[in-house]
Amino acid sequence: MDTTRRGFLGAIGKVTIGAAASVAGASQVAEAAQTDTPTAVPHWGMVVDLRKCIGCQACTVACIMENDVPQDAFRTHVSVYELVKDGQDPAMVMLPRLCNHCDDPPCLPVCPVEATFKIDSGEVLVDASKCVGCGYCVQACPYDARFINHETQVADKCTFCFHRTQAGLLPACVETCVGGARNFGDLNDPESEVSKMLAHNEVSVLRPEMHTNPNVYYIGLDDVLDGRVAGEAAYHSEMADSVSSHEEGL
Amino acid sequence: MQVQVHELVGAVHEAAWLPWAVQYFFLIAISSTALLMALPAFVLGRTGDLPKARLALMVAVTTGIVAPVALLADLHQPFRFWEFFVYTHTTSWMAWGAWIVPSYVALLLAFAWAIHRPAFYAMGQENWRFAWLFRLLALKGEANGFARLLGLGAGLAALGILLYTGTEVAVVRARPLWNTPLLPLQFAATGFVGALGVMLVLERVLNRDGALEESLNRGLVFALAVVGGLGIIWFTVARSGLSPAHTQALASVAGFPIWKQIAAWGALAIVVPFVLALVAPRNTGWATGLIAIHAAWMFRWTVFMGGQAVPKVGSGLYDALLPSGFDGLMGVIGTFGLWIFLLIAYTTFFPWADATPPVGRRPTTPAHPARSV
Amino acid sequence: MTKRRNILKGAVATGALATFGVGYAGTVKKLVKGKWSGEVPRNKHLTGNSIPAEYTVDPQTGDIALNPDQAMSYTMCIGCTTMCGVRVRVDKKANKVLRVTGNPYSPMSTDPFIPYESSVAESFAAMAQAGKGNGLTNRSTACGRGNAVLQQVENPRRVLKPLKRVGPRGSGQWQTISFEQLVEEVVEGGDLFGEGRVAGLREIRDLETPAVEGAPEFGPRANRLMWMNCVDDGRDNLVLRWLKQSFGSNNFTRHGSYCGGAFRSGSGALFGDFKAMPHAKPDFSNAEFIIFAGTAPGNAGNPFKRIGNLVAKARSDGDLSYVVIDPILNNAQNGPSGERSRWIGIKPGTDGALAMAMMAWMFDNDRINHDYLAQPSQAAADAAGEASWTNATHLVIVDESHPRFGHFLRGSDLGLAVEGEAYSDADPHLVASSNGPIPAGNTPAPLFFDGEVDTTNGPVAVKTSLSLLREEAHRQSLEAYSDDCGIPTAKIVDLAREFTSHGRRAAVDSHGGMMGGSGFANAYALSMLNTLIGNLNWKGGAMIAGGGFSETKGPAYNLASFPGAVKAKGLPAGRNVPYEKTSEFKRKKAAGNPYPADGPWYPNAPGLATEWISSMVNHYPYGAEALIFRNTNPVYGIPGVAPLVEKLKDPKVVPLIISIDPFINESTGISDYIVPDSVMYETWGFTKPWGGVATKATCARWPVIEPRMEKNAQGERVGMETFLIATAKRMGLPGFGDKAIPDAQGVLHPLNRAEDWYLRGAVNVAMLGKTPVAPASDDDIELSNVARIADDLKAVLKPDEWRRAATIYAKGGRYENIERSYDGARATYAFNKPMMIWNEELGSFRRATTGTRVPGTPSWREAEFADGSKVSDHYSKEDWPIRVFSYKSPLQNSYSVGAEVLLRIVASNPVIVGSALARAHGIRTGDMVRLSTPGGTLESVAVVREGIAPDTVAIEHGFGHRGFGAHDITIDGETKPGDPRLAAGVLLNDLGLIDPTREKPGVWVNPISGTAVRQGLPAKIRRIA
Ligand SMILES: Nc1nc2c(c(=O)[nH]1)N[C@H]1C(S)=C(S)[C@@H](COP(=O)(O)OP(=O)(O)OC[C@H]3O[C@@H](n4cnc5c(=O)[nH]c(N)nc54)[C@H](O)[C@@H]3O)O[C@H]1N2
Ligand SMILES: Nc1nc2c(c(=O)[nH]1)N[C@H]1C(S)=C(S)[C@@H](COP(=O)(O)OP(=O)(O)OC[C@H]3O[C@@H](n4cnc5c(=O)[nH]c(N)nc54)[C@H](O)[C@@H]3O)O[C@H]1N2
Ligand code: SF4
Ligand code: SF4
Ligand code: SF4
Ligand code: SF4
Ligand code: SF4
Ligand SMILES: [Mo]
Repeated sequence: MDTTRRGFLGAIGKVTIGAAASVAGASQVAEAAQTDTPTAVPHWGMVVDLRKCIGCQACTVACIMENDVPQDAFRTHVSVYELVKDGQDPAMVMLPRLCNHCDDPPCLPVCPVEATFKIDSGEVLVDASKCVGCGYCVQACPYDARFINHETQVADKCTFCFHRTQAGLLPACVETCVGGARNFGDLNDPESEVSKMLAHNEVSVLRPEMHTNPNVYYIGLDDVLDGRVAGEAAYHSEMADSVSSHEEGL
Repeated sequence: MQVQVHELVGAVHEAAWLPWAVQYFFLIAISSTALLMALPAFVLGRTGDLPKARLALMVAVTTGIVAPVALLADLHQPFRFWEFFVYTHTTSWMAWGAWIVPSYVALLLAFAWAIHRPAFYAMGQENWRFAWLFRLLALKGEANGFARLLGLGAGLAALGILLYTGTEVAVVRARPLWNTPLLPLQFAATGFVGALGVMLVLERVLNRDGALEESLNRGLVFALAVVGGLGIIWFTVARSGLSPAHTQALASVAGFPIWKQIAAWGALAIVVPFVLALVAPRNTGWATGLIAIHAAWMFRWTVFMGGQAVPKVGSGLYDALLPSGFDGLMGVIGTFGLWIFLLIAYTTFFPWADATPPVGRRPTTPAHPARSV
Repeated sequence: MTKRRNILKGAVATGALATFGVGYAGTVKKLVKGKWSGEVPRNKHLTGNSIPAEYTVDPQTGDIALNPDQAMSYTMCIGCTTMCGVRVRVDKKANKVLRVTGNPYSPMSTDPFIPYESSVAESFAAMAQAGKGNGLTNRSTACGRGNAVLQQVENPRRVLKPLKRVGPRGSGQWQTISFEQLVEEVVEGGDLFGEGRVAGLREIRDLETPAVEGAPEFGPRANRLMWMNCVDDGRDNLVLRWLKQSFGSNNFTRHGSYCGGAFRSGSGALFGDFKAMPHAKPDFSNAEFIIFAGTAPGNAGNPFKRIGNLVAKARSDGDLSYVVIDPILNNAQNGPSGERSRWIGIKPGTDGALAMAMMAWMFDNDRINHDYLAQPSQAAADAAGEASWTNATHLVIVDESHPRFGHFLRGSDLGLAVEGEAYSDADPHLVASSNGPIPAGNTPAPLFFDGEVDTTNGPVAVKTSLSLLREEAHRQSLEAYSDDCGIPTAKIVDLAREFTSHGRRAAVDSHGGMMGGSGFANAYALSMLNTLIGNLNWKGGAMIAGGGFSETKGPAYNLASFPGAVKAKGLPAGRNVPYEKTSEFKRKKAAGNPYPADGPWYPNAPGLATEWISSMVNHYPYGAEALIFRNTNPVYGIPGVAPLVEKLKDPKVVPLIISIDPFINESTGISDYIVPDSVMYETWGFTKPWGGVATKATCARWPVIEPRMEKNAQGERVGMETFLIATAKRMGLPGFGDKAIPDAQGVLHPLNRAEDWYLRGAVNVAMLGKTPVAPASDDDIELSNVARIADDLKAVLKPDEWRRAATIYAKGGRYENIERSYDGARATYAFNKPMMIWNEELGSFRRATTGTRVPGTPSWREAEFADGSKVSDHYSKEDWPIRVFSYKSPLQNSYSVGAEVLLRIVASNPVIVGSALARAHGIRTGDMVRLSTPGGTLESVAVVREGIAPDTVAIEHGFGHRGFGAHDITIDGETKPGDPRLAAGVLLNDLGLIDPTREKPGVWVNPISGTAVRQGLPAKIRRIA
C-alpha cells in the first residue's frame, strides 16, 4: 500500500474556510447537471459486495440521519435472511436494499406531473415542490424503494445522496459502510473502483426480469433472494408497530 | 432444490394508496357503469327500461360527484391537483385520467341536467317556495333535444373511465396482482355488480317495484356470471402457467392463509347473490343488492389494500391488508357520508323519477305534482 | 307522515354530511395549507430534509470549502466498549450533533488508516471522491449503533441536574438538588433520608481504623468505599487517583467478570498473568484459517467494526477461511462467502470438549509444532528463530504428597547453586535430558517426560507440561468429547486437520461465549490451540495489541503520582486473593481444617464485580459503607443478580449509594444520589484499543459540543470530574487543588478543572516517543474545530505545548502509522513471556470452598457449583432439558436502547428456538412461550429458526430494560411515564442462577475465574399461547 504522505490522496488542494458552496436542493442544479458536457458528467452507480456485508445497518442509520428519513420508512435498509439450502448448513445473507436508480425506471413514466425524473448523472430524483403525492410511482417501483414521506407528504426515496455527491463527497451509506460492502463511483470511468469491480466480478441485479437496468449491482447475490423472497416475514412486535404508527393511520 | 428462507430483519412498507383510493375506484366504477345502464332508455329511447334508467342516472350522478372528491383526498398534496393539467405526462395513465375524470363528470352532469331540464322548467313555473331555484336551474327553457348527444358523450367518457381506471392499475408491472389485462374487465364487471347492487337497494327504499327488482336481479345474475367467469379465467391462466404474470400473481399470495380466506370469501360473495337472484329474483333485492355492493367494494379493497400488502422484494406480507386507524376508517365512512347526503338531496329536491327520454317539445303535464319542501 | 319523513331525512342528511366533514377534515386541512400540505422540507426540490453537506471537496483538485454552519471534529464514540475514533458533525448554532462517521486516522474505524502526518484537510479529502480509490480506500465508518447513539445526547430522560432519592431506594422517585448540596451531603453524611444517620465520605475515609475488626489483612475503613466502573472510558485514571491515591480505598472494579472475564482469565492462564490477563487476537488480515469459538466477528466483538471490516475483507479479497463455533448462527457468518465462512453449532458451555478433542487428535496425529514447543527459554527461541516460547518442556512436580505439588521443578530442588532466592526467577526451571533434569538452556528440550527424578528430598514424580496436557487431552475419547459438545467427531477431526494445515497462519479466537460454567477452562483450552501451532507474534498468526501512548506517564507531566499520595492497602472485597492470606484461614486451620471457607475465593482472578455484589450483601469478607456506580449497570448485566439487588435496596446493607451517570439505568435507579455526567461527545478521555490493533493507538475524546449538564456555582458543568474535584477539595484530600500535578521539572500545577487534567494528559500523549507530534497548524485547528477549546489549551498549557496538544485533538488521538504493524514476518509489538502449557499458580492452588485442586493445564470438566458438586446433579437433564444462552445484538448494546432509530430497525428480541425443539413443543413463530430456569422465568414471543444448536434457546442481549425510562420516573413530583418501546423484549439475566450451594448467597460463577454464567443455563420451555 502506498502510504506516503502525498500518495494516499488522489488530490490535495487548498482550503477555503467559511465559504461552502451551496449545493443541491434545486432543480436548477439538476438542470445544470443535465446540460453539462457529456464527458464531464459521471454516471453514478453502486456495487454492493454481499460477501462484505456484516448486517450492521450503519448504512440504514446513516441514511436516516443524513436525510432525516421519518419513522416507518427507509430509503435504504439491510434485509437479513437465514437461508437453508438442501443438504447445506444454514447460512446468513445480508441484503442491502435501496433505489437502483434504474436506467429504465418504471417509476418515471407513471408520474402524472413529471415530478420524477432522471438526470444525466443517472440519479432518479423527485422534485418535492412538484410532486402531487399521488403515490403512483410508489406502486410502479418494483423494489419498494419509494415511499410517501408522511412528514413532507411527497414521494421520497434514495437520491444517491445527490447533495453530497454534488459536493464531492460520498453518499452517507457508502462513507460509513463498515464491511466495505457498498461501493460507489462513476460507471462511465473505466478506472473507477466500481467499474473495476464490475469488470472483475460476476455481478447481478435485483429483479432482472423487470428489465429496469439498475445502477446498483450485487456481488454474490443468490437467485433465491433477487426478487420477492419466499418465507415468512421477519417478526415485528405489535407494540412497536402501534407505537410508531403515525397520524395518517393507513 | 429445496430452499428455506427465514427473514430475520426486514422492513415494513406502508401502503401509498389509502382507503380513499378504494372509495374512488369503487364509486367511479359504479357511476360509469350506472350511466351506461341509463343510456338505453334515455338515449335510445327504450322506455321499457325507464324505471331502471331513472335509478341508474341518479346513482351515476351521486357517485360521480363523490368519486373525484375521494380521489382528491387520496392525493397527499391535494392543493396541487391543478398540476395535473399543467404538466401532462403522456406516458402516465394517471395523467390521462386527470383529463378523463373531469370530462366524464362534466358530461354526466350536463346530461343529467338536460334530462331533467323539462321537469326543472315545469317546477319553475309552479307557484311554490323554490320555484325561482328551478327557474334558474332550467336556464330559462325546457328544450333538451341535445341530451342525446350529451348522453353519448358521457357514455364515451364513461368508457374512458373504465378503460383508464383499469389500465392505470393493470400496467403496474411491479404488482403482479394488478398487472393483468383482465383487471380492466374485472373492474368493469364488478362495477356493474356494484351499480346494480346500489340500484337494487335504492329500489327497495324508493320504488318497491317488484318488476324492477326482478329486472335488476336478472342484470345482476348476468354481471355476476361475467365476474365469476373472469375469475375462473384468471385462475385457470395462472394455474396453467400460460401467462407468467398471472402465475407470479398467484404465487405472490398463494400459501398465505389470509389470501385463501379472501378467495373463499370472494367466491361466496359471487355465488350467494348469483343463486339468490337467479332462484328468487323478487323479494331478494335487499340481500342481493347489499351483497353485490359488498362484493364490488371488497374486490377493490382486496386489489388495492391487499395488493399493496404484498412485498415486491421482501418476505411474507405487510399488514397493509387490514390496516386500522381512525383516520382511514373515517375516510371510508366519510365518503359514504357525502354520497348518502347527495342521494337524499337528489331524491328530495330533484324530480329524478320524472325523467323521460329527451323530446324536442314541451311535455303537456308534469308526471307528478311538484313537491313541497 | 311526510313531515316525520322529512325530519328523518334531514337528520340523516345532516349526519351524513357531518361524517363526510370528519372523514375529510384531513384533506381540508391539507387544502387550506396550500402548496405544501406537509412540512416544507429544508430543500424544497430534490433532496428533501437532507442536511447540507459538511464541506465541499473538489473531486479533481481536492480543494476544500468548509460549510461555516457545521463543525467536523474527531473524537470518540462510546456506543459500545469498542470506543472508536469517529468524526462528529455538529450544527454549531444548535449545538447539536447531526451525524457521525469514522475518523480516518483511527484504526478502529478505518483500514488502511491514513498516515498520522496528513493534515486535517487531507483527512477530509481522503474520505471524499478526491480520495484514494474514489474515497473508498480510506473510508472511515461508524457502525449502526455508532451512527445512532448521537440521539443519546438529547435523550429526554437524561439526568442533567444532581438527583437525590425521595422515598425508598429504587422507588423511582427523585428530587433535584444543587451540586453544592450534593457535595455537602455525600461528604458530611447525616440523616440524609430521614432513615437515620448515614456516614459521609469524610468519615469513611479513615486510614487508621481497620475495615474489619481483628482482620488487618483487609486494610483500613477507607476500603469500605467501593467503586464499580464499566470499562475504562478513558477517565479511569482520574478516578483511580481520587479513589486510591487520595481517598485511600483499594476497592475498585470494572465489569470484566460479567463481560468476557472467563475468556480473559483463560487467556491469562496461558499468558501467565491472572491480573492483567493479556490476550492475543488473530491477525485477521493475514491469517488463512481462523476458528471463532465464542466470539462473533461482525456481530459483536471488540473492536467491533475493525474485526467486522477486516474479516469481511479477508474472506472476500484475501486468503481467509474461517469457522464460527457458536450455538447460534448470526452475522458472524456470511452465506455469499461460501466455504470461506462456515458455521458449526455447539452446545453452550462445552467448548472445552471441542478444544480438548482437537488437541487429542493433534497429539495422536503429530500435528503439534515440535520445533516451537521444544524451545525451553527465550534464548533457545531466539536461537531457533521462534517468535515466542512456552514452558512445554518444563518439568512439573506431580507427586500429590509433595509440598510443591503442581509447581515446577527448580534448580534448588536438585540442590543446584542458585544466584538468588530459591524459587525466585533466578532459580532455573528444569527440563528432561538423557542425563536427568537439567536447567532450561538455549537448546531444544524433550517435549514429553514422565518419570521420577532425584531431588534433595528424595525421588519425586515429574512430568513435562506437555505430557500433562497430553494426558489431560486423553482423559476422554473423541467420541465422548463429541457427545459432550454436540459436534460430530468427523467435524472435529476436520477442524483439527484444517487448523493444523496452515502452518502458523491459523488462529483461534474467543470471548463472550466462554461465560459458561466451565468457561475458564474452556477458554484456556481454546487459547492453547494457538500455542500448539506456535502462532504467537507471527504475521498471519496471533498478535497482541500494539498498545497506546500513556497520558499519565509522559515526558511533560506526571499524572500518575503526586506529593502526599496515599497507598491504598488491604485485600479487596471481591475475594480475588488467596484465601490462605486471611485470618479466617488461620483461625480455621488452627481449629483443625481450614476448608471449606465461608465463601469462595479466587486467587487466580482479577477484581470481580460479580462477587462484589455478594460481598456487599453478605458483608463477607466485609461490606461497603458507600458504593459508587460510575457508568455501569451490573443490575442489568449480571445474570441472576436480582435477589441480591433486592437486598441492596435496603439501606442497612449499604448505607450510601452514589451513581455518576447520564442516565437512570437499572443500577443507578437503586442509588441514593445521581451525579449527572457527560455523554460521549461532551466529555474528555483517552483510550487505547483492547486488542486487534497491531500499532500503538490512543484515541482522544474531547467535548466537541457544549455539555448539557447544568452548571454549578462556579460556572463549571456538573459531571464526574467536577464531583471528584469538589469532594476531594472539601475533604482536603491530597492530589487536587492548586498544587497537584508535577511537571518534568517538579513544578506543581493545579487540578481544579477537568481541563487541568486532560489537557496535560494530551501533552504527554503528544510528546511521547522518539519524535513528538507536530504542532497543529491554524488550518488543522480551524477545520477540526479545536478552535472551540483553543482558549483552554492556551490557558492551561505552556506556550510550546499547546499546539502539540491541539494536534492530538485535531486528529482525535495519536496513531502510529500502519507500516509499524509488522517487523518483517513478525508483529512489531511482541509478547515476550512464555506461554503456560502448565500454569503453576493454577495447578497448585486449592479451592477455598472445597480444599481441592484443579488441573494446571486446560481441561474439559462439567460445570460445578462452589461446593464442587456438579450443576447437573442439582438441576438434572430430565427436569431442565434445554440450555439457554445469550448473544450480543449486532445493533444494540446494553445501553443504546434510548437511541430511537435503532428500534425502528429491530424493535424487540423474541427468544430464538430451533425448529426441532419448536416442533417437539408445538411452537411456531409468533407464539408466546414460557422459558424457565431454576433462577427465573420469562414469557416472550418465540421465533423459530434453523441456525441454532439442538435443544438450545437463544436470547439476543440489549433488550428487556427496566431502566432508561422503560418505567416511570418521577422527578420533583413530575412523572415521566415509562415508554413501552424502551421496555421491549426480554433479558436473559432474569433467568440467571443463584448458586444453591453457597451459604452466603451469590450468583453462579465459574469457580476459578469468578465470572458470571450466562451461557448454557439449564432451562425448560413451554408454549403458552
Ligand atoms: N454489536 C455489538 N458489538 C459489541 C457489543 C455489543 O453490545 N453489541 N459489546 C461489546 C462488548 S462489551 C464486548 S465484551 C464484545 C463481546 O463480543 P463477543 O464476545 O464476540 O460477543 P458475545 O455475543 O458476548 O459472544 C460471542 C458469541 O458467543 C456465542 N456463545 C454463547 N455461548 C457459547 C458457547 O458456549 N460456546 C461458543 N462457542 N459460543 C457461545 C454467542 O452466541 C455469541 O454469538 O462486543 C463488543 N462489541
Ligand atoms: N445476558 C447478558 N448479559 C450481559 C452480556 C450479554 O451479552 N448477555 N454482556 C455482558 C458484557 S460483555 C458487558 S461488557 C456488560 C456491560 O455491563 P456494564 O459494564 O455494567 O454496563 P453497561 O450496561 O455497559 O452500562 C454502562 C452505563 O453507562 C452509561 N452511559 C451510557 N453512555 C454514556 C456516556 O456517554 N457517558 C457516560 N458517562 N455514561 C454513559 C449508561 O447509563 C450505561 O448503563 O454486560 C454483560 N452482561
Ligand atoms: S428502484 Fe424504483 S424508485 Fe428507484 S429508479 Fe428504479 S423504479 Fe425508480
Ligand atoms: S407521488 Fe409524486 S413523484 Fe410519485 S408519481 Fe405521484 S406526483 Fe409523481
Ligand atoms: S445514497 Fe444516500 S439516500 Fe441513498 S441510501 Fe445511501 S445514504 Fe440513503
Ligand atoms: S453498512 Fe455496509 S456492512 Fe453494514 S449493513 Fe450496511 S452494507 Fe452491510
Ligand atoms: S463499534 Fe460502533 S458503537 Fe461501538 S464505539 Fe465503535 S462506532 Fe461506537
Ligand atoms: Mo463486554
